[in-house]
Amino acid sequence: MEQLINDLKVKIKEALNLEELAPQDFDADAPLFGEEGIGLDSIDVLELIVLLEREYGIRLSNPKEGKAIFKTVRTIAEYIKENEKK
Amino acid sequence: MVSIEITGLGVVCAIGCNAEEVRRSLLEGRSGIAPMHFLSSVHQEIPVGEVKLSNAEMKGMLGLDAKAEVGRTALLGAVAIRQAMAEAKPKMQGKRVALISGTTVGGMDITERHFEQMQSLRRGELSEEEREVLRLAMKHDCGSSTREMAALAGLADAEVCTVSTACSSALNAIMLGAEMLLRDEADIVIAGGSEALSKFHLNGFNALMILDKGLCRPFDKERAGLNLGEGAAFVVLQREDSLSNEQNPLAYIRGYGNRCDAYHQTASSENGEGACLAMRDALGMAGLKPSDIHYINAHGTGTLGNDASESAAIRRVFGDQIPPVSSTKGFTGHATSAAGAIETAICILALRHGFIPTNLGWKEQDEACITPTQGGQRQLTNVLCNSFGFGGNDSALVISAVPHGFPTEEKTFEPEVIDESSLISETGELDADALRTFVTAGEARRMSRLMKAATLTSGQALQEAGVTCPDAIVTATAYGMLETSEKFLSDMLEKGEAMLSPTQFMQSTHNTIGSSLAIRLKCHGYNITYSQGEDSLRWALRDARRLIVTGRARTVLVGLHDESTPTLQDIFCQLGKPMPPLLQSRSIVLGRKGEGKAPSDSFAKEENPGGEGRNI
Repeated sequence: MEQLINDLKVKIKEALNLEELAPQDFDADAPLFGEEGIGLDSIDVLELIVLLEREYGIRLSNPKEGKAIFKTVRTIAEYIKENEKK
Repeated sequence: MVSIEITGLGVVCAIGCNAEEVRRSLLEGRSGIAPMHFLSSVHQEIPVGEVKLSNAEMKGMLGLDAKAEVGRTALLGAVAIRQAMAEAKPKMQGKRVALISGTTVGGMDITERHFEQMQSLRRGELSEEEREVLRLAMKHDCGSSTREMAALAGLADAEVCTVSTACSSALNAIMLGAEMLLRDEADIVIAGGSEALSKFHLNGFNALMILDKGLCRPFDKERAGLNLGEGAAFVVLQREDSLSNEQNPLAYIRGYGNRCDAYHQTASSENGEGACLAMRDALGMAGLKPSDIHYINAHGTGTLGNDASESAAIRRVFGDQIPPVSSTKGFTGHATSAAGAIETAICILALRHGFIPTNLGWKEQDEACITPTQGGQRQLTNVLCNSFGFGGNDSALVISAVPHGFPTEEKTFEPEVIDESSLISETGELDADALRTFVTAGEARRMSRLMKAATLTSGQALQEAGVTCPDAIVTATAYGMLETSEKFLSDMLEKGEAMLSPTQFMQSTHNTIGSSLAIRLKCHGYNITYSQGEDSLRWALRDARRLIVTGRARTVLVGLHDESTPTLQDIFCQLGKPMPPLLQSRSIVLGRKGEGKAPSDSFAKEENPGGEGRNI
């Protein structure tokens, strides 16, 4: 799981051009969206959907599903684990 | 007093190849959205509103050799312009004629067909045939596409201008045409827009996940996105004093408004601020009350965001007197940059023939949305046509069955340049420290090189001029967001039509810079982007001047922002043309003479209480 989380952090940073983000701001349990989080928006959701499909072969057809899945890096990792097994 | 008369109309879209066919389809409730036929894409599951003419058929209609490589945007446009001119039959001799067209796709369909081959020809010796392939790259930009369209339509001698504000391009083109007539800059203006479907923007909208895989359902509770369409429409606009005795006007331009939502690159604000201001400006200029409008042709794309935001704006402007509203995109699909002209054509047909088009696809009420009309026969006097684009470039046009005189003598002001800042970078590198003054690391993450340069020069110019928020933003760009567009195109061709980046696509439109600056500056004023090759800045300055002279803006931010890519530079080199710089950005703050560096951000509030005045 921790391996997957670290792997995800690298990929998310690259996909969303977050290179300048400090490591402590990118905690696995920190909210990705909203004012308390790092402030991602609806377009980032779409980029994350592309990332899930490209890197992990998981397809989301409705961007609304993204909200719950993309809460934190950890929730994304959990979703990947769950859906990879199937 | 002078009135702006519409003397001719030409239209080709999914529901007909001329005005009469379009009228019949509207009355019979026949949609033109169907499986893909001409466009070549793997996404066969996505229905589209194609014009039911092949490129070869259109070349035949225009008397062209079937083998000639001409972009579909230019072909569609030329067919529509010829229809409009055949109806208007204006006396052209000795007249100042202008063609104003809205497009974003331009020659992209040619580029995407030949891009791989062009890449392989970037180096080495070339045969004459191979050189021909590279020359096709010169047809890519919007300005070249419009020039070719002008030549094909027999308007090679006309002044030519392209407006590119994404999905509101054509409506802004018509407004510019009317404005030129009002200011006596032309006698006859042919204005509208043309846009062909391209694999590029089909995939872009698909990446944004806003395409309905079924028929679109504007304003419906279950709406799930838009259907892309294509087409062209043009109107012939004339001042009454240039009309010959045999000419009978079809309708009249009565008012218009162009505002910026200044909210987000692709999303619309919840309260529909930009749309609301544009509609109020249009009504204000027309001298009409909300209850004088008999029909609204909504932008109504069928996306969750647009329809709710537009409904909020309509409710704010019309209160409890909302006239019948329909979106006709269930018929035509969303013809993006041409939509505003096609819908203007539909409004003119509705006025002429006394009917209201239905809103196809609507079944269930959404509380967040207005209730669209099911249409029917009705005599109409004034209709409102809405057209909104990415970045919040929102415009509205009032068309009337009765003439309306605009005053010709107004108080005028003299413009002057308050400050200017420019940079040219041969390497594409920017001064990182200077940039950091205006852009935070977080903001920079979605900015392309050109966007950063534009933010830097406009920030410097505004700061020096002592202006926090200009009254209007006018942008010029020949090639637009070339680096981002090329990246998206390369990905699409190399990796296939799946998993493309939505961020890249939404930043590929020419109005990305102008609208992003508006979002930064929270500038809800007039916002437009010109893309007419080397003439782009000239058109932008002309517009800015007009805004200052007529007193509609006290300060205008004008920018020329262009970039090149290694691919384009290689192509120029192979063709023996002088290479364009990798990056150039020039920002100019224009103001009223004698007012110096006075801050102007309170202007809109002072002279337009509640934003109801005319501040286009």
